[in-house]
Amino acid sequence: MSLTIESSRFGRVEIEPETVLEFPEGLIGLGGSRYALLGDDPDAPFLWLQSLDDPSLALPVTNPHRFFEGFAVEVVDEDVERLGLDGSGAMDVYVTVRAAPVLEDFTANLKAPILVRAGQAYQVINQAPGCDLRAPLFAAPDGDTAPDGSDSAC
Amino acid sequence: MLGDDTIIEVLEVRGQTVRIGIDAPRAVPVYREEIWLEVKRENQAAAEAAASSDLPDFPK
Repeated sequence: MSLTIESSRFGRVEIEPETVLEFPEGLIGLGGSRYALLGDDPDAPFLWLQSLDDPSLALPVTNPHRFFEGFAVEVVDEDVERLGLDGSGAMDVYVTVRAAPVLEDFTANLKAPILVRAGQAYQVINQAPGCDLRAPLFAAPDGDTAPDGSDSAC
Repeated sequence: MLGDDTIIEVLEVRGQTVRIGIDAPRAVPVYREEIWLEVKRENQAAAEAAASSDLPDFPK
């Protein structure tokens, strides 16, 4: 059963059921519990997390491994227990992206990644050291950092 | 650190022993409040930035 929504950003969108994510605890500090992961290009670095509860709410997200070599997620025991992170089953990880008028100012939130498994998603606090709340995604044109990997410890 | 939903209660004082009860909702992880707030603000900022019409085309 597919669902159609009127997104402020995308207009009328048909939502495929397999793209729907339930956030039992919502995104931290934001309302709503159902989102759809939108993106029609499998090679595109960015996807959109479109709220199904609030059509005006959509956040860009990305797979952190595309931009941050050695990115790791560590969660407190309480989260392991609550989310059933027993190591079985694959989990996808996304991080929210804060866009900006220029690419060099785009940042990703490595401190609060989103873990996804079987249509359930949780935004957790990353306990790994050195995780930036605003980690730059792209090097400045005259910088000497490789564009496809920063030296973030996280 | 305990959040707003967590209550500590002194149950009993007997001699040198104090029994306390901690009532924290099991479903709520006890994050430091300031981290929770900064993540909330970052989420909101990301949502607002996304809604801005001032964005370059996302690189493919």
